Amino acid sequence: MYYLPELVIVAAGFFVLISDLFMPKHHRKYLPPLSLGAAAIAIGLLLANVNVAAEYLGGRFVISPLTTWFKIIFLLGGAFTVLLTWNSKRFERITAPGEFFSILLFTQVGMMCLISSTDLASLYISLELSTIPLFALAAWKRGDKYSGEAGIKYVLYGALASALLLYGFGLLYASSGSLDLRVVGDTFTATPLAWIALALVISGVGFKLTLTPFHFWAADVYQGAPTPVTAYLSVASKAAGLAFMFQIFFGMFGAQLAEWQWLIAALATASMTVGNLIAIIQRNIKRFMAFSSISQAGYLIMGFIGPYPEGAPAMLFYMLIFAFTNMAVFGVIMWYDDETGRTDINDYHGLSKTNPVLALVMLLALFSLAGVPPMAGFVGKFFLFSIAAKAGMHWLVAVAAINSTISLFYYLRIVRAMYIETPTEGQRRLPVSPVMQTTLAVTTAGVIFLGVIPLFYNLIERHLTDWLRWFAGW
Amino acid sequence: MGGPVTWLVILPLITALAILAVSSNRTHVFRWVALVGTGLHLLLTGFVTWQYWVQASRDGATTGDGLFTKLYLVERVPWFESLGIQYLVGVDGVSVAMIILTSIVIFCGVLVSWHVVERAKEFFALLLILVTGVFGVFVSFDLFLFFIFYELAVLPMYLLIGIWGTGPKEYSAMKLTIMLMASSALILVGILALHHGAPVPTFDLTQLAQHSYPLAFQSWVFPVIFIGFGVIGALYPFHTWSPDGHASAPTAVSMLHAGVLMKLGGYGALRVGIYLLPEGAKEWALVFMILTTINILYGALAAIRQKDLKYFTAYSSVSHCGFVLFGLVALNSIGIQGAVIQMFSHGIMTALFFALIGMVYGRTHTRMIPEMGGLGVRIPWLAACFYIGGLASLGLPGLFGFVAESHVFLGGFFGNPWIDTTLTRTLTIIATLSIVVTAVYVLRGLGTVFQGPLDEARFGHLTDATLTERLGSGILVAVLAIGGLVPFLFLDLISPSLVPFVERLGDALIRLGVL
Repeated sequence: MYYLPELVIVAAGFFVLISDLFMPKHHRKYLPPLSLGAAAIAIGLLLANVNVAAEYLGGRFVISPLTTWFKIIFLLGGAFTVLLTWNSKRFERITAPGEFFSILLFTQVGMMCLISSTDLASLYISLELSTIPLFALAAWKRGDKYSGEAGIKYVLYGALASALLLYGFGLLYASSGSLDLRVVGDTFTATPLAWIALALVISGVGFKLTLTPFHFWAADVYQGAPTPVTAYLSVASKAAGLAFMFQIFFGMFGAQLAEWQWLIAALATASMTVGNLIAIIQRNIKRFMAFSSISQAGYLIMGFIGPYPEGAPAMLFYMLIFAFTNMAVFGVIMWYDDETGRTDINDYHGLSKTNPVLALVMLLALFSLAGVPPMAGFVGKFFLFSIAAKAGMHWLVAVAAINSTISLFYYLRIVRAMYIETPTEGQRRLPVSPVMQTTLAVTTAGVIFLGVIPLFYNLIERHLTDWLRWFAGW
Repeated sequence: MGGPVTWLVILPLITALAILAVSSNRTHVFRWVALVGTGLHLLLTGFVTWQYWVQASRDGATTGDGLFTKLYLVERVPWFESLGIQYLVGVDGVSVAMIILTSIVIFCGVLVSWHVVERAKEFFALLLILVTGVFGVFVSFDLFLFFIFYELAVLPMYLLIGIWGTGPKEYSAMKLTIMLMASSALILVGILALHHGAPVPTFDLTQLAQHSYPLAFQSWVFPVIFIGFGVIGALYPFHTWSPDGHASAPTAVSMLHAGVLMKLGGYGALRVGIYLLPEGAKEWALVFMILTTINILYGALAAIRQKDLKYFTAYSSVSHCGFVLFGLVALNSIGIQGAVIQMFSHGIMTALFFALIGMVYGRTHTRMIPEMGGLGVRIPWLAACFYIGGLASLGLPGLFGFVAESHVFLGGFFGNPWIDTTLTRTLTIIATLSIVVTAVYVLRGLGTVFQGPLDEARFGHLTDATLTERLGSGILVAVLAIGGLVPFLFLDLISPSLVPFVERLGDALIRLGVL
């Protein structure tokens, strides 16, 4: 029963969904802790069996340390998102909170199945399960034109990406005669048809992971969507994109990976450069974070340049760090938006005087995103860069490191607003709810300690290599 | 828990946290916490130096050759084992010298910043976090750890200048941060290349030094690393962040930055660049020798033209840091020795300058040289200290600057077997001209400020240095004098530890078939 975590989330999703029918309004405040509890139980179950490998449904649903760690990251992203919405003043006004949380939980199930599936059909279905409900979440702020725009854009781009992906899968099936990922990979021959199929599949991956040139939806959707949804998109949904890319690159084409190096390097270079350069001119902090996330995706996929035993732990570790770091940033953005209704970078002026602790949280998280030591983000990036260096791509390391410097330039703009500019007359200390305090404390602890304490990386690394050894023997 | 070297690194951090824990209203308390913390650190530095000295002499006595070349007080803890990363700290003579320098400068820095008022708590805390990074760099012998500390030392500068600076502070802070971070990107590329180029991937500097990299590899990695460190060491033409940064920074930050942080450049170029890549160094020595000659002369000539005391000192620092790099790329033992002495003596000297400028500015509210005159009558202590520092910087025998500069020039003059001696000698002679230029700007500048008629209406009410100021500047002057009068104390400390560097260069000679 190692698929119990999925069942827990499904059950919680259905319960929350129908709760709107019978639950009195004043009891709805129990929905966030309920969703959170489900996520906690699922994470607990996963952690208890973290080193297990198993197969279900005739090998179509696999459990391995890799899938387990991915699921932990998805659930963490989901749990943080629930924490952000809890106690939010704006969220108290939303209609049907039950639907909101159930949609969130269902996308989690989609992500969890995504990393566990081994054939094209279930891969596609779980990917859609993790994407389509998000269209609704992006447009959740009823009557807000930006939110509406976000929803529409997300639907249009998402549908296009999905169609391309499905076309690609179809061609792969046609050329190999099998839906099984490994069979498709093993029988892969470099025919023009296969190349077209791959190009189509990669555009689907690029959409989910916001890689340049498939990133165009990100800025508007990030800006318009409610802030917790933006946070969810940038963390959990991105992790799902990474999981999907794992399935394609390691799962399907693990054997031919050496041939991919240049493609990955080109995608990484484009994403980080474009993301960083456009981020410089942004004024809205959520748009800004969209471009920042695009560049982060560029760093992230550098892990695919190396072979699986090195790339997988480095990328998983970075994703874990990124989940904590980005959630810390979005926590502050959410809180500030909630209290003042402002989302412009310049609106953060003087925050270090009115709320020094929150400003410090933001500072540390931004430095972690920029890859400044000793924050966790640096350690994660260092491991990724190391993979590129090992493959002899020193130019890519240079590009990535220079990009980190550029990113520091724009992260410092926020720091400047918070620390160097003075607060305006009458700007007062803003209250922080206990839930928000807890969320920020947890995420900040992650930002500081994930990189310094070697435990987490070593754990991920050991589990994955142990499993790999076992897998190779089997 | 932890050995003395670890405490050396975390004591400033603990002090910083202690300061943050104190309530913001009690200005006196955290000043004292900072002073006690840095004072304790000075004692700890003394203890480490003594321990190093005792252990090293004992080793020297047993082996009979009187050389103590290895690492002492080593602490080694595995960190990310599968990637060859460990927590490895220790000291050799060069590190000990740099630690002493930093301890003295930060202690004096706290003394002269006694009257910082605005957000003083954050100021002292950030200053101490910066110093944590600096100490970390000087003691770490694992490149990953080294890099972490290096960036930790650089980044607080943004806030320190941005919040407490003067003039175009935001511009200067951003320029400084971005230039230094871009240079650390180069260092990162270099470190990763070194790591993966080694037969057994490790970040342990002592193990990497067992390996000699292929020439083609060395000739591209060396310039990457040398320029990476050269930017913070104010290598021409990458020095432009330095005058702006120093001019905008508050007093203690300028002291630390010019005094200590710029030395990270020379230290890193020596420890990582020349030590690990001697053949690469040889390939590029001439190029960098020309650049550093320009450095030395350009800095000195630019200093003549400055009206602002801080820009004046900043350009003089560019010139003097040029000596450090010039000594290094001479690639012989006396040149490298001179570079290390110059790092120390210039650190003390420039810290003294910036401290004094801060004190003068606090009284006159101007830093413009032409506006001042005759101040020596009213503030004799500051004037005397300023003159001593100035004389040290123009290389007057009897002060520390002379010892350093004479070594550097001798090193350049002796040259090395790879480059035509006529060339190195010509360059050295050109560089020596800077002494004359230095004499011109120091004597002219100081003369204008402290001598001549006094503007009674404007400066008549000035009072001389307070007790904390006297203490701060007095210590620095004393070190300059001691170093100048008994230089062998310092030479004995560092020269044995330079042997491995020279041996690596010698090995390279043999490999390349020059000898």
